[in-house]
Amino acid sequence: MNEADRRTQLLQLAAGAVFLAVAVVLVLIVLNASDSGDGGDTKLEGASEVNRSLAGIPQQGMVLGDPAAPVEVAEFADLQCPYCKAFTEEVLPPIIENQVKNGRVKLSFRNFTILGEQSPPAGAAALAAGAQGRGWNYVELFYRNQGTENSGYADDAFLEAVAKGAGVKNLDKWNADRAKFLADVEASTAEAEELGFEGTPSLAIKGPATDGLEPIGTPSSTGDLEKEIEKAG
Amino acid sequence: MNYPSESNLRRAIAFVATLGVGVATYIAVEAAGGDAPTCLAGSTGCATVAKSSYSHVAGVNIAVFGIVGYVLLLASAFFANDLARFGGFVVALGGFGYSVFLTYVELFKIEAICQWCIASAVLMTILFLLNATRLVGYAGTETGALPERA
Repeated sequence: MNEADRRTQLLQLAAGAVFLAVAVVLVLIVLNASDSGDGGDTKLEGASEVNRSLAGIPQQGMVLGDPAAPVEVAEFADLQCPYCKAFTEEVLPPIIENQVKNGRVKLSFRNFTILGEQSPPAGAAALAAGAQGRGWNYVELFYRNQGTENSGYADDAFLEAVAKGAGVKNLDKWNADRAKFLADVEASTAEAEELGFEGTPSLAIKGPATDGLEPIGTPSSTGDLEKEIEKAG
Repeated sequence: MNYPSESNLRRAIAFVATLGVGVATYIAVEAAGGDAPTCLAGSTGCATVAKSSYSHVAGVNIAVFGIVGYVLLLASAFFANDLARFGGFVVALGGFGYSVFLTYVELFKIEAICQWCIASAVLMTILFLLNATRLVGYAGTETGALPERA
């Protein structure tokens, strides 16, 4: 093969590589952009906002944030509880933005199902989403679309719509996991009772300066929670 | 079209790739120690990006892939043959493409900017341009002399 032929062949290969690289980058971007989910037939609000706000934050089970974060804030909550919704939507966002994203704090959601018969299945549905790395997306999207307490809205169709909206990829697995996680819901509810909690949401904190998981009640503001984090870490 | 001499392109590639090894090594060392690279002006963007789920691929910090890429580019600068020209181009193309994706992720998904990641993206862009120029200018030549055109 002479120089000119080899040159032509190399440049053709290079053009092919450029084409392939552009295609791969576009596919990666499209796959990530479409990671926002929707609720299927059930109309849900806020799926894109929730998924965007949590994008890039590590999730393992129901733990949001760097698993190695020195301080853990555990929220014991019932998905049907309007105070839990308010707490998650008003108190937690600055903590997530400033302390979870930079790896100082991790948040764990733990079911404390005390409100009604739809609470344990809802909690288990969140844990099943957590098994696919979408636990906090599930919790936050559930709260965004929370109905009136014990009105019966949290039926299977609603739970599945939230799963779809939260970006749960394998719905068959999510469905199969839901029943298994009911035992975990009971266990965390028992844990909350052992910590002396009587209402939701109730928080506990664990850090270098605490003796294991210590109850801190319900901080009424982001500032109060930040003080507890400061004391624990 | 007049291309810079291949020896100058190779020197430039070696210089920029060495800077890239430094930047990627700094990010990887900080991550391995459980820290995030320090952003200038007190920005928390570096910590946010470093702690994000996008910072690892298959459990490996992407800065490690960056080090490997920059070392390969550095190595390609030591040889004046088609394998080095084409190999350098492909590695730089891959690095540049992934930098484009990561910059998209920083801007639109994580919504935080890591200055060290941007520095690496800029270096990889320069390396892509240098390697593309080298390939287009000198592919098919044995000694780095400009090929004759029809």
